[in-house]
Amino acid sequence: MKIKDSDICVIIPVYNEEKRIRKVLDDLLTSTDCRIVVVDDGSTDKTFAIASNIKKVIVLRHKINQVKSKGAAMKTGCEYAFDHLHCKAVIFMDGDGQHLPSDLPKFIEKLGLGYDIILGSRNFNLNIPLVRYLGNKTASIVINLLFSKYVSDLLCGFRAITKTAYEQIKWDSVGYGVETEMVVNMARTNLRWCEVPVTVLYYDKAKGVSILDAFGILFDVIKWRFFKG
Amino acid sequence: MIGIQIIAIIFSIFMIYFATINYRKGEINGVEILSWIVVWIGAIFIVVFPDIIRTFAATFLITRIFDLMTMGGFILVISMGLKNYLSVRKIEKLIEKMVREDAIRNVKTSKK
Repeated sequence: MKIKDSDICVIIPVYNEEKRIRKVLDDLLTSTDCRIVVVDDGSTDKTFAIASNIKKVIVLRHKINQVKSKGAAMKTGCEYAFDHLHCKAVIFMDGDGQHLPSDLPKFIEKLGLGYDIILGSRNFNLNIPLVRYLGNKTASIVINLLFSKYVSDLLCGFRAITKTAYEQIKWDSVGYGVETEMVVNMARTNLRWCEVPVTVLYYDKAKGVSILDAFGILFDVIKWRFFKG
Repeated sequence: MIGIQIIAIIFSIFMIYFATINYRKGEINGVEILSWIVVWIGAIFIVVFPDIIRTFAATFLITRIFDLMTMGGFILVISMGLKNYLSVRKIEKLIEKMVREDAIRNVKTSKK
């Protein structure tokens, strides 16, 4: 599939990122020609106002936050990108600056090679917090046992999907279970997928998937394995 | 009449009162208030005359009436919990759909 930067939309779900969103968007604008859609998931700070004032950035806003509804924000972004902007693929990036725009070409290259799903994979030898490392590896093993699909970094939010893939792996999770559900749904399709190494910077170790969230996701994984067609 | 029976009767009367208040506020309809009154009056009868359900308990090989009531209570609580869970899930999905549709309708691009 021949794909241009303008056929791709970078989707950034954000919640209360007023301190970092400007830099994230400025960095992106200087390094890519992809379209940029920010989905503000009901922030209570100035995130929406800041993002709205940046040229060439499209901002969608969830008026209320349904408690860590990253999955819902990603779905809103996809529907807007595919149905209204007529993009061929989307790339998800986090809004706190932990993902680097310099990794975008790796995803774009793989999309050009015909892959439907490209999953970012962090280098676990670097500065990832130990709890996250152990949680992530355990989750990968559990998914491999239950769905026969080994993904080295199950919870990395930096990933790309095509429109075809979105239609086949559309998720129901509204929260942090979204990344896992994408992989679970992917395991039940014949979509072409691959992983690319990405660099991740950790600014805020308190944010992201908590241990409680992880237990919730584990419960969901078991539910998806045995009660989802 | 022992203390626990008195407490159970007071609780049942309070629950009838509670249901009546909600009926007056329009939170529940006529059929619902009637159902709740029947349930709580039935509970009072069972508490005052426990022998009423002794035969019923024996049918299920339950020797003590207290055991039967405990089991009945568990069944009631679990079924109501499930009903609440399903209702909340339905409302959550509805809110999510509304919020997402609203976001797409009111998309904002910079005027700069």
